[in-house]
Amino acid sequence: MIKYIIKRIIQFIPVFLGVTLILFAMQNIVPGDPIKLIAGEKKLDPQTEINLRATYHLIETDENGNPILDENGNTIETPLWKRYISYITGLLHGDLGRSYQQNGKPVTAILGQKYPYTFRLALVAIVIESILGIGAGMISAIKRYSAWDVGVTLVTSTMVAMPAFWFGMLQQLFWGIFLKNVTNGAFYLPISGVGGPHAEFENWVYYILPALTLAAVSTAYTARIMRSQLLEVLNQDYIRTARAKGLSRRAVIWRHALKNALIPVVTYIGMDFGGMLAGAILTETVFNWPGVGFETYRAISQRDWPIVMGSVTVIVIVVMVINLLVDISYAFLDPRIRFDGSKGE
Amino acid sequence: MADMMMNRRAFVGGSLAASALAALAGCGKKTDGGTTTGGTATDSANVLKFYINNPVAIDPYNTQESEGTQVEHVMFDALTDYDWNTNEIVPKAAEYWDVNDDATEFTFHLVEGATFHNGDPVDAASFKRGWERICDPNMTTPSEIRYHLDPDKGALEMAEGKATELTGVEAVDDYTLKVTLTAPMADFPYICAHPALVPVPQAALDDPEKFLVAPIDNGPFMIDGEWVADQYINLVRYDNYYGTPAAIDGIYFSIQKDPDTAFREFEAGNIDFTSIPSGRMSEISEKYGLSDDGYTVTPGAQVLTGAEASIYYLCVNCEDEVMKDPVIRNAISLAINRQNIIDTVFEGTRVPADCIFPKVIDDDPSNAWENSHYDLEAAAKMLDEKYPAGSDGKRGIKIKLSYNSGGGHEDIMSIIQGDLEKIGIEVQQESLEWAAYLDALGDGNYQIGRLGWIADYPTMDNFLYPNVLSTSENNYSKYVNAEVDKAMNDARQIVDDEERKAAYRKINQMVGADMPIIPVMFYSHNHVGSERLASFFYDAQGKAEFAVAELV
Amino acid sequence: MADKNKAKDQIKEEIDEAKQSTELDMAPSRTLWGDAFQRLKRNKLAVIGACWIVFMVIVALTADLWVPQTLGSPTEIDSTTMTQMSRLPPSLEHPFGTDTLGRDVLCRVIYGARISLAVGVLATAISTLIGLVMGALAAYNGGWWDTLIMRFADIFLAFPYTLFVIAMLAVIGPGIQNVFIAIGVLGWPSIARVFRSAILSVKENDYVDAARAMGASDARIIVRHIFPNSVASIVVYATMNIGGAILTESALSFLGMGVIPPDPSWGIMIQDGQTYLATQPWLMIMPGIAILTTVLAFTLLGDGLRDALDVKMKDA
Repeated sequence: MIKYIIKRIIQFIPVFLGVTLILFAMQNIVPGDPIKLIAGEKKLDPQTEINLRATYHLIETDENGNPILDENGNTIETPLWKRYISYITGLLHGDLGRSYQQNGKPVTAILGQKYPYTFRLALVAIVIESILGIGAGMISAIKRYSAWDVGVTLVTSTMVAMPAFWFGMLQQLFWGIFLKNVTNGAFYLPISGVGGPHAEFENWVYYILPALTLAAVSTAYTARIMRSQLLEVLNQDYIRTARAKGLSRRAVIWRHALKNALIPVVTYIGMDFGGMLAGAILTETVFNWPGVGFETYRAISQRDWPIVMGSVTVIVIVVMVINLLVDISYAFLDPRIRFDGSKGE
Repeated sequence: MADMMMNRRAFVGGSLAASALAALAGCGKKTDGGTTTGGTATDSANVLKFYINNPVAIDPYNTQESEGTQVEHVMFDALTDYDWNTNEIVPKAAEYWDVNDDATEFTFHLVEGATFHNGDPVDAASFKRGWERICDPNMTTPSEIRYHLDPDKGALEMAEGKATELTGVEAVDDYTLKVTLTAPMADFPYICAHPALVPVPQAALDDPEKFLVAPIDNGPFMIDGEWVADQYINLVRYDNYYGTPAAIDGIYFSIQKDPDTAFREFEAGNIDFTSIPSGRMSEISEKYGLSDDGYTVTPGAQVLTGAEASIYYLCVNCEDEVMKDPVIRNAISLAINRQNIIDTVFEGTRVPADCIFPKVIDDDPSNAWENSHYDLEAAAKMLDEKYPAGSDGKRGIKIKLSYNSGGGHEDIMSIIQGDLEKIGIEVQQESLEWAAYLDALGDGNYQIGRLGWIADYPTMDNFLYPNVLSTSENNYSKYVNAEVDKAMNDARQIVDDEERKAAYRKINQMVGADMPIIPVMFYSHNHVGSERLASFFYDAQGKAEFAVAELV
Repeated sequence: MADKNKAKDQIKEEIDEAKQSTELDMAPSRTLWGDAFQRLKRNKLAVIGACWIVFMVIVALTADLWVPQTLGSPTEIDSTTMTQMSRLPPSLEHPFGTDTLGRDVLCRVIYGARISLAVGVLATAISTLIGLVMGALAAYNGGWWDTLIMRFADIFLAFPYTLFVIAMLAVIGPGIQNVFIAIGVLGWPSIARVFRSAILSVKENDYVDAARAMGASDARIIVRHIFPNSVASIVVYATMNIGGAILTESALSFLGMGVIPPDPSWGIMIQDGQTYLATQPWLMIMPGIAILTTVLAFTLLGDGLRDALDVKMKDA
């Protein structure tokens, strides 16, 4: 098992380096000098500019952080590869650099403020996805060819074809605006933000609509996977045997079929959770959610590359860890799989 | 809601589920009461909830845009303040000031006994400290607003690292601050009203990171906890304030992404003052009632429409091959139907701009530029000689119209495009995100762009000097006119108010003839307050007077 | 990831397969193209999808002939009537209502279909082309070619997709051509994987060995023998991909990073309509329905094709 984990981590390294390298390259293709982003459009006097370039590791410095000058007395621009190495070194020390725009705030502090919201939203969405998705899939499989089955199939197809941001707006329209109008303000849901000291609702209420929106597409997939897996399991010999032995259909489904059918479903939900932790740009935009997806999107449009680098780095690592956990969990869920290497190759 | 396309069955099913969930939401509703954040508990009932966008900075050393300015203005007291009722500059943290004859030396006498909310005295040294932070090149991010202090002696030297202190600003004694300028400038006390030019306590230097998110101020309110980015800034009344204490217990700056979201929160009762989303002015005016003077909210008269000290204009790249011809610039100005933009997009609530000065800055009727009205025929005629129209009506003039995306400018630009196509100019739009857009403007990589200018301080100089002086950084038009430059520097030195105004009016006309910018409209308030506001003043610069605000 | 644990990969394949499935059960069997068409015809949902696509294409292509005459221009503004025409509710004259600038929403939705379909098809064409070349190189050459290309694909897939497209557009700038490029270029890894595994399974066949024994060149073998035999999976994959590309374009335009106004993209129209959510909801509902139906049509058709051609979706 340990061997397997180490192998996976080693496999991950080139992927990780590739991702960060591509971002780094992009950052340097974009026209414009970072100094303009840091100090705005105002013209800087030379000394300030040099200090700033040193602070942001854009020019070579000695151990004391003073700029190194060449024979003409000019500063030396740090080559790209060196900046990349210093970025990776910083990363290993838990330092993601400083934002260009937010008054030089450390990226870790910015992400630290945003991640809890993304994490909690993803958690709520996953709960919704699991309950609704598995439930709908089960009903659909058990009552195959019924109106339920057709309905679930149609609804899941529709959900998958819907732009997430549009679905979010429809929910705002229904739960927040339409419902408020027809009930004369008695019942409705908040449609933006996360609450706060003087908010109208308790903070948890603010999770309902964004979480439903975020979960929509995944719920549809979960339902489909659940349906097809359960159908497949129900067709297998041991289930037929169990039925032949006189066990009731209900007992067979709950005691035998479900556990096996759930393995791929749980796998999918696990991987999906990783995806949600990457932040949902569109959901967060529509619902004014102060999460990491919206922050990264804003950073891209403001060219605040340290934040983009930082958040993508964190996202890629998180996704990798979750995928690894999902893979490891197979060993516990499915006795066919062992990671000792004897069966792997 | 006749437009909701929903059949009966879906409605019934939907509403059952709806009430179930909404019942949950009902449980989730807060009963009005105290909050538990921060050290000081405040009663929601007497707290004013105010919409802002996420500011760039609330530390005064880098207060650069409207949202940060709003917060700073209520937290910090500057030396002076502009009184929009009497239209004059009045003392605030200074009791009074003296000026020498040629307007190069200003001596401010501070109010004695004022304190920061950590108890430190507000003295002349604290002002010098605050101003020096603006010039200090060694801040983690240097200030972007040093230009306010450029007239001060020593500001440039300090910014260039040649001096470690601001020599032009001197603490004569604890309560006397003497400011020496490099050149005469009679308008200087107006600049001193800017919310960035305020005192800071020693703590700002000791813990700058903390000061960025929780500044310690000298005004009637203090911050509770710290600025929670993208969510809120919570202020509470400072009880040891040296002036008249505020009537309200606190201010809750609710940070929203855009006016649409903010307005929905307003309708839900979560915000007391917000801007009105486009397209809803008439409906909302009817519902909440128009304010009498356009600036003050009182119950039943809650919608503000007062003129603002700000202008929306097109900047024209005077170095561009096509746009460098003043004939084209003037023809374009004539072809734009400003009233139509205002009627369609802003429901008639703004004012067509005919010169560079908004009416609240100077309403002299002779200010209008010759070609700043709408006259399609004249525009076409102007172009006929040099750019005759072909058989398809096109004149071979191709223009790219650039703007920043996401600011609601798409509709305005589409209308302008339509107008210009009527006189045979082919137009292509280019929408860029803000940083890229500013880059394009700065590098002169554009033909026509759009910009807005909000007064830093309500002077005529503030509209001309930053935007059309050849060396100004905001002169994105790359407009160079030595006569205009000279006239502007001369005007600054005129001590007599009326003479100075006359000089600026003349410059306005000189600029108008060249048309380096094309005025489109002057902004007006489009704001609404809730019934909870007993009295609330929102001035022409868009600054709220929280200190005298009252809640029902 | 390139894990060789069979049982585990199998689970993932099952997941991918199930994700794509909207089947209401069709018996699988070996088929030929003509046979496949007969089977497709029997799949009602796929037929509906195909009809809708054909309808959209015809409407979009012929729009210039009849739309401006009946509904007006999608982009131009009539400044004389603009104020009165602004944001009218749906009526007989304007079935989808009008927008802020007095333009007919139905007209803009129709012209928006041109953009969406063009983006869907062109972006898919780009990513399919790149994917085919990469997949062929990897599968046919094997060895370090395979490792390198597939590791490269892993890197692309490890990126959060939406963020990647947005970052790419931030680098190359907005505009419709750049949207084609960004979506197209970033979409290749999935199709490369599909094609690679298709080739690998075909490659083992005897007739490929026979062709090689007769001295056929590598390129000839790929073009004449391997490609025709993998074409089914490519067609299915590309059909489904079009819907995804349309969704991505609408999201980009919604965020203001895609198509530039006044061109009518559905995403832009929804973004415009967001402001009037409470008062004139049809402004955002109509273009949303257009996206939904179009993407759904491509998904249904793709599903039908997959079942008819009996293609196993190895990867998504």
